[in-house]
Amino acid sequence: MSLISFSFLLFCIITILIYFIVPKKFQWIILLISSICFLFYKNLNIYTIIQSLIVLLSSYSFGILIEKFRNEKKSKIFLLIGIFIILAQLIYLKYTNVFLRSFNLIFSLFNIKYRFILLSNKPVLIGISYYSLIMISYLIDIYRRACESQKNIFKCALFMSYFPILTSGPFIRYDNIKDKLYSQHKFNYSLMCKGLIRILWGLFKVIVISQRLGYFVDTVYGNIYTYIGFYIVIATLFFTLQLYTNFSGSIDIIMGISEIFGIDLPENFRAPFFSKTITEFWRNWHITLGAWLKDYIFYPLLKSNFIQALTHKCKNKFGKKIGKKIPLYICLFIMWILIGIWHGGDYTFIIGSGILQFVFILIEDIFGTIIIKINDKLGINMKTFSYKLYQVIRTYLLFSFAMIFFRADSVINALETIRFMFVWNPWILFDHTSLYAAGLDRYDFGVLIISLVALFIVDIGIKKFDSVRDKLLQQNIVFRWGVIYLLLFVIIIFGCYGVDYNPSSFIYRQF
Amino acid sequence: MEKEIYERLNKVFRDVFDDETIEVNSETTSKDIEDWDSLEHINLVVAVEQEFGIKFNMNEVTTMKNVGEMVSIIMSRI
Repeated sequence: MSLISFSFLLFCIITILIYFIVPKKFQWIILLISSICFLFYKNLNIYTIIQSLIVLLSSYSFGILIEKFRNEKKSKIFLLIGIFIILAQLIYLKYTNVFLRSFNLIFSLFNIKYRFILLSNKPVLIGISYYSLIMISYLIDIYRRACESQKNIFKCALFMSYFPILTSGPFIRYDNIKDKLYSQHKFNYSLMCKGLIRILWGLFKVIVISQRLGYFVDTVYGNIYTYIGFYIVIATLFFTLQLYTNFSGSIDIIMGISEIFGIDLPENFRAPFFSKTITEFWRNWHITLGAWLKDYIFYPLLKSNFIQALTHKCKNKFGKKIGKKIPLYICLFIMWILIGIWHGGDYTFIIGSGILQFVFILIEDIFGTIIIKINDKLGINMKTFSYKLYQVIRTYLLFSFAMIFFRADSVINALETIRFMFVWNPWILFDHTSLYAAGLDRYDFGVLIISLVALFIVDIGIKKFDSVRDKLLQQNIVFRWGVIYLLLFVIIIFGCYGVDYNPSSFIYRQF
Repeated sequence: MEKEIYERLNKVFRDVFDDETIEVNSETTSKDIEDWDSLEHINLVVAVEQEFGIKFNMNEVTTMKNVGEMVSIIMSRI
């Protein structure tokens, strides 16, 4: 079920109505029932039932066992078995063909005739990449004594399948959400208004901006031999914005819905395009994935005996400063490869959202202090607005460049796109017709520019005040409702519901 | 004893972040020290572990919010 569909709207209205009508002690049961309906919507079969039971039963039972044998060695064994089962299923269902294709590629490089036969597509439950990692963190948290295990299997099932987060996250932690998830919630008018505003803002981002940008991006990326040079430059810059508005917009919708239930979810974006470096960008983009990887992979890896011994050796050999960096970069590399794999496993994702990001961060870390020293010598003030603006634009351009791989169908296609991007045809920007021949006319460009200005202003507000919505709610009633109605009408009038519109095409949904 | 712990911590912080001017107190957080990011955090934690001969568990590593929390954990272990 797509977040932008009539069936989802109806589904949410019915769930919210029942949620607040039933006795409050049954509210979590309503959430569980609706989550199960959402999880198996048009996808109920023996495969999906088994898939969900494997994760549920292993996380539930091993969670209890880890807690029961906390002070014994068994605890670690149970943790490892639990993680292994959940991870093995995730890898089997999502990445088997990626691995088989890689082996076939290696075979072809070495002239070996043998080829693995790819597995046929089996039905996979929606949100498997999210709930698998969420349940792994649940087991690790019990092991680390950060939380207690859930003894009620149905409550455990709700934590695993809470429907708002199944499409695009954010990643939740059991200890942070358990109280809100199972507790009783009174209907709260102001919370509902807040939730609705956030939903509207998310719809605006997805339907008015992202979908519109998508027309241009799809036209250009689908015909890179026709639309060359500046068409590709603009489409690439647009794609980054399309990805952001699509992903953060769906997160807004999700958080708004959850807020109506009285369940706060962790923020996943904090105005990422105002970041001055790629490192800072990733602190503000898909925040909960970054936090998950940091807490459950990066820190344990860095603190492992092997890496610590390596750090010790490197420090002795290369000195303290450089010595401690080498193991750090190894861990960072592993983490970015994992981020690439999580995004789908194809080489385009591994390069675009993995290796290139790692390279940018590496360069920033190595040359960061050198650049400061050079600027100091040249008398360039790095605290000025113009310098910060340069840094922000540089970050946007670098990230957009990496996203060429993310968007392309294959690595070859991405390299071709980059090749054709360097054709000099700036006149298409000024001849009043060329630009309007790639999926968006003058009217669409107008809507897009005004919408992007609105997004820009709101993101500045988020950067400054954390929440623009709270500021809006402090205004007088006329202004407040004026803005809300304006947003509603803009979505209805300027939303892209054309024949080409495919509401299920959430870019992050496939993960 | 707390005073002595802070003195030893100052030594560790100065060594890890290469900054002789660092003076930590219970309220000090990663925001107060420029290079204290997620990459340096583990180096700091390991250096503190070695200085005091203790081990932080992973939950403590990921959740400690300021130097004060770090000191309470150290005091409970030594």
